[in-house]
Formats: sequence, C-alpha cells, structure tokens
Amino acid sequence: MWLALREIARSKGRFALLGGAIGLLVFLNLFQQALLNGLVTDFIGAVENQNSPVLVFSEQARKNVEGSFLSQDQADAIAAVEGVADTALIGQNTFTVLAGGDDADAVLFGYELGGLGEPTALVEGTLPQGANLAVATEADADAGFGIGDEITILADGGPVITVVGLASESRWAVTPTLFVSYETFEAAQLAVNPGSEVVLPSLVAVQPDDGTDLDALTDAIDASVPGTEALTNQEAIDGNPAVVNTSQSFNIILTLGFVVVLVVVAFFFLILTVQKARPLTLLRAVGAPRAFLVRNLVIQIVLVMAAGIAAGLVLTFLAVVTAPVGDVAISVRPSTAISTVLTLFVLALIAGIASIRRVLRIDPIDATVDAA
Amino acid sequence: MPALEFHEVNKTYRTGGTDIVALDHANLTVDDDEIVALLGPSGSGKTTLLSIAGGLLTPTNGAVHVGGNDITSYSAKELTQFRARSVGFVFQTVNLVPFLTARENLLVVARITGLPSKTAARRADTLLKELGLDHRAQNLPTQLSGGERQRVAIGRALMNEPELVLFDEPTSALDTSLGEQVMELIRKEVKGRETASVIVTHDTRMTAHADRTIHIVDGRLDAGAAQPA
Repeated sequence: MWLALREIARSKGRFALLGGAIGLLVFLNLFQQALLNGLVTDFIGAVENQNSPVLVFSEQARKNVEGSFLSQDQADAIAAVEGVADTALIGQNTFTVLAGGDDADAVLFGYELGGLGEPTALVEGTLPQGANLAVATEADADAGFGIGDEITILADGGPVITVVGLASESRWAVTPTLFVSYETFEAAQLAVNPGSEVVLPSLVAVQPDDGTDLDALTDAIDASVPGTEALTNQEAIDGNPAVVNTSQSFNIILTLGFVVVLVVVAFFFLILTVQKARPLTLLRAVGAPRAFLVRNLVIQIVLVMAAGIAAGLVLTFLAVVTAPVGDVAISVRPSTAISTVLTLFVLALIAGIASIRRVLRIDPIDATVDAA
Repeated sequence: MPALEFHEVNKTYRTGGTDIVALDHANLTVDDDEIVALLGPSGSGKTTLLSIAGGLLTPTNGAVHVGGNDITSYSAKELTQFRARSVGFVFQTVNLVPFLTARENLLVVARITGLPSKTAARRADTLLKELGLDHRAQNLPTQLSGGERQRVAIGRALMNEPELVLFDEPTSALDTSLGEQVMELIRKEVKGRETASVIVTHDTRMTAHADRTIHIVDGRLDAGAAQPA
C-alpha cells in the first residue's frame, strides 16, 4: 500500500485520467442499464406488478400478450388441471381514448375484481370496486389519468372510465395503462368491435395449490391443454418479445462497455509497468519479493477502479435524479449496481494479468546492466 | 569470520553455442571490516563477481560464503531474502526509484524487510544527516544532483545494516572531484559501521580509498586475493 500510494501521489495526473475514464465508462454502463430497466419496466410493468404467479398464453402468441387469445373451453380445461387452485380471465388490448381533453392511446387490462390479475403496486387511491372504475399508472397521472379523471373509450357506446387509484411501475408497452374489471374490458372491446359476438380473454391467470411447484404446473398445463403455453410471471416478463429485443440490443452495448474497461485498464497498467521497469528491477535487486511488487500493482488497480466506480456511481445518481429520459422512469436497481461493480473489479484484475506477468518476469540481474 | 569468501568459483555463460568464462576459479576472502577495490578492464568479470557475491547470480560451480553462510545452496526465494537483509547494493546506473523522495528511497528498504516504521524513520534520518542530505530528504531524484543521487544510493545500501556492501562503479558517472568525495564518504560510512565492502572500479585513482586492491583480468583474480589484508 505504501509504495502504491506514493506512486499515485507523485503521478496524480495520469492516475486521475484513468480514474476519470473509468468513471465515465461506469456512468455510461450504469446509465444504460438504468435506461434498460426503465424501458423494460415500462414494457411489462403491468404483468410484473400483478398478483397472478402463472399466466397462460395461447401457444401461437409466442409469449406476446397482444397476440394471445384463449377460448372458454381452454380456460375451463386449465382450471381442471391438477395443482390449479383458481383461475381468472384477463383481457388486454390497446384503445384510443379521450383523456385530459386529448386523444391518446391507453392499454386496458381487464381482470376479475378481487381476484387474479389485480395490480399490486397501488400507491394512491383504491382498487376498482365495480364497473367503469380503474387503477391507472402513476407516471401518467398528469396526462389525464389522475385520480378522478374520466377516460372515454373512443367508440360508439364506449365506456367512460373513472380513475380511482394509481399504481407505480405498472405500464404496458410504454403506454398509459388502466386496470379495470373484466366486464369493463368486454364493454370496451365490444364498443370498438360492434360486430363481435364474444370477447375472448387474452390470458388465463392461475393460482396454484399450496406447495405446487410452478415449473411442474406450467408443464402440466402445457401437456393437458392443447394450444396453450403456461408461463410463470418471471418467464412471461423475460420472454416478452419487446423485452427480449430491447435487452439484446442493450446487452451488446453493455458488453462493449465492459470490454472497453478491460482494454483501457490493461493497456494503462501495462504501459505504466513497462515505463517503470528499471525501478522495479532495482527493487527486485535490493530484495523486494515478486509478491511485494505484484501486491502494489493490484492495490493500484483496486484503488483506481474504486475511485472510478465511485465517480461513476455519483454521476449515474445525479443523471437518474436530474435527467429523466422522456416519460420513461429510469432507475438503477441496487442488485444491478452491485453486480456491475463486482464485474468491473473482476475485469480490472483480469486486465492486470498482463502487467502482473510483466512484473513476474523481471530479472534482478538487469539492475547491473547499464540501460544507456 | 570473513564477510565474504569465494572458493574456486566459476561462472560460464553459454552464448551461441560457445561457452564464455566470466569467472575462472575465483578465490577471494574479504574480512568483515575490509574495503576491497576490484580493479579490471571492461568485460573482465568484475560485475559478474559482484553479482554472485550479492546473490543476483548463481555460480556455475564453486562455493560462496557471506557471513559464514553458503549462499550457493539458497533457493531463489532465499536469495531474495538474502539480498534484502544481508547485502547493500550501489549499482552503476539504476539506483533510485524516481517516484520516491530521497528519504522514501531509504525507507522502501525497510518496507521490504519489514523493519518497524519508527526504527526505519530514525535510521533513515540518521543516514541522511551523515550523508549531508538532511535538507534534501523530501526531494525527488530528478531534483538532486548526480553526487546527491549517489549519496542517497549509499544511504539506501546501508539502510538494512548489511554484512556486505557492494559498489559497482560508484563514481563512473561523476567527475574526479565528486568521485573522490563519494569515495571518501563510502570509506567513512563503511568503516564507521565495520562493514565489509567490495568496490568494483576501472579507475585506479579510486583504489587509494580501499584497504586492498585486487585485479581481475579475463575472469581470473590475483593469486593473493584469497588472503585477507
């Protein structure tokens, strides 16, 4: 530590530059992850923050709620599968609405009140207790979806829905979302499709018997009810096509960010080690063990990374607090930040291997050789 | 007990399929408070002898004793410890760590050997004062003159209170007057500590400061080198 700190103190500029570069890369990485989290939450918050542990899709929908339609026969068959304690219908569709005096898109999630599919992140007001009442999403309260606001489905006979509660992080497809009774959803569907004779549910929500293994249950439903795909809530989130595509794009960028950190740290310390080969040789010649020099190198890597990461965290915090991206609620999850920090430390130590190998190869006899 | 003994020491390098003899049946004894000047032309084996005495090189065969211990049997790790605790080095060119002050260049030896920090600080301050460098303690090597840098290197070599101090051309980068001053300082510091030392030089004027001068040519020492003064 003593030697490492003195070298840093005498070369503040170059170590500050590296720390700053690491800080910016950490900021970039964490901010992108925060943006990804915000986007993902805005894509699938309505499913993530509802109370059904298992959702059954139509098989052809390929995990896409918008493309999923189930028949009443399938819903009945699902209810009859062993291990299923309760089921409920969920309807989902996007409607053009009048909200706050303007036309807007809104997603309706119709569920059986008091049952499965109910929103779990209520932050204000109450859950709907009857027809034409809704829980809206907190992020859209100022856009005509606040408590007491009336939202009209723009179609002949379209229901007028009154917001009675607000839920956080419960949007669907980055669109204002309303949780309403299944009957309200059916009324909205029939209003926009007046020729329809029946409204098909999008999903069937399933409550398993106590102690039932969820994976075994979803397998059993898939096997028992043709044309369905049962998913746990997490599987429904992770498998959502929008989430998959967005995550893949972001993950490529995030991976490149990690690679850049690896390369920057590796080159910096390798160049530094090459530049100070003579004093390191001298120290080996006067009795410094290899471990002494390697320890100092590792300490420098850890200190620079810690300073850079701290700077990156502060920048990210400031950016998340002060710079909202459109109406996407960006947030850094502590677990994401911790895993990113640990990954960066591991990558930095891997990046230091080239420098460590260089230090280990130093031959003290070279101290007797005239470099000039 | 002699501070340094070489008994029939050979060192052969193999280069391009040819054996080059750097030391040829070298026999040498240096008493525990003796200053020996090792004089020889370039390529005569002076630095090789010094490197073997200091545990930087191992001989091809023969026995080397420092303070009564046979260092030829030491492992690489033991040789590293030996260099840290028993030997002081002043090299020809590379002597100071550029990002450490004069005082820290002495203290780094204590960090390597694990000397308690208070003892180390006291010893470093005493050495810097003896070497006339107490006012330059906080200066980096780039802020010191050539003579001052060499004095710091002498201080560093004495910091671990070694049994043997090895000097490789300590005055080669200095003018004659400064070289004389450095040699006088070496003699004063080494004799004051009753420490043995070997000074490699090709400058005959510097041998006046030694108790004994031994010549080396083509890896062979004077016949009487094994007899202490």
